[in-house]
Amino acid sequence: MNEQRRQILQMLAEGKITADEAERLIDALERQQPEPPPEAYDSRPKSRPKYLRVVVHSEDNGAGKGPSRINIRVPIQLLRAGVKLASLVPPQALQKANAEMAKSGLPIDLTQLKPEQLEELVDQLNEVTIDVDDPGSKVQIFAE
Amino acid sequence: MIPQLVTVRYRPEPDLRHTWHVPVLPVALLLAPILVLALLSGLIACVVFRINPVAALYGLARVVWALRGTTFDLVDGRTAFGISFR
Repeated sequence: MNEQRRQILQMLAEGKITADEAERLIDALERQQPEPPPEAYDSRPKSRPKYLRVVVHSEDNGAGKGPSRINIRVPIQLLRAGVKLASLVPPQALQKANAEMAKSGLPIDLTQLKPEQLEELVDQLNEVTIDVDDPGSKVQIFAE
Repeated sequence: MIPQLVTVRYRPEPDLRHTWHVPVLPVALLLAPILVLALLSGLIACVVFRINPVAALYGLARVVWALRGTTFDLVDGRTAFGISFR
C-alpha cells in the first residue's frame, strides 16, 4: 500500500473525511497512477536457449539387446547455418530429391521450402517441447 | 569459434571402451595439403553445379563455427557410440 492511500485511510479513520470522499480520492489516486501493462510485470529478459536436445529412451525391445538411449544436443546456431547452406542446393538437385521422396511415399515438394520459412521455424524452436510417453519408450525434444 | 577438440567414444562390448580425443587445429594443420585439395575440388564442383562458391564457402564456415557444443550419444544395448565437439 502506498503512502497516499494510507493517508486517505487514516483521514477516514479519524473522521476527517466521509467514506464517499475517501472512495473518490482513492479513485483519483488510481487514475493518476495507471497500472503497468501486463508485460511490464515480467520485465526480465528471457534467456534464449542455445541448444536443441533430443532424448530417446527405449526399453528392451525383446531381442535381448538391452535398453537403447539416444541423446543428441545440437546448437541452434548450427541449425541456422545448416538452413543457410541448404539454401544453396540447386533446384535440379531438389527436384531429384523430390522424385526420390515421392517414390518412398513422402510427397513433399522441397522447392516450396523457402530459407526464410526455415529461419522462422528455427526461431520458433525456442518454445518447442515435445514429450512422447509410450509404455516401452520415451521421446523428449526441447530447447535448453 | 571452431571446435578445439573432438571426442569420439566407441564401446563395442560392455568391458571394452575406446575413446579418441582429436585436437582439431593440429590435425587440420597436419592434413592441410589434403584440405587444400578438397577445397579446390569443392570449388570446381561449385562451378560445375552452378553454386556460388563464395556463398558455399561462407555457409560451410558457418557450419564449422557452429559445431562447438554438439553432442551425439547412442547406446544400443551393449554397444555405444558417442561424439562431441568442444
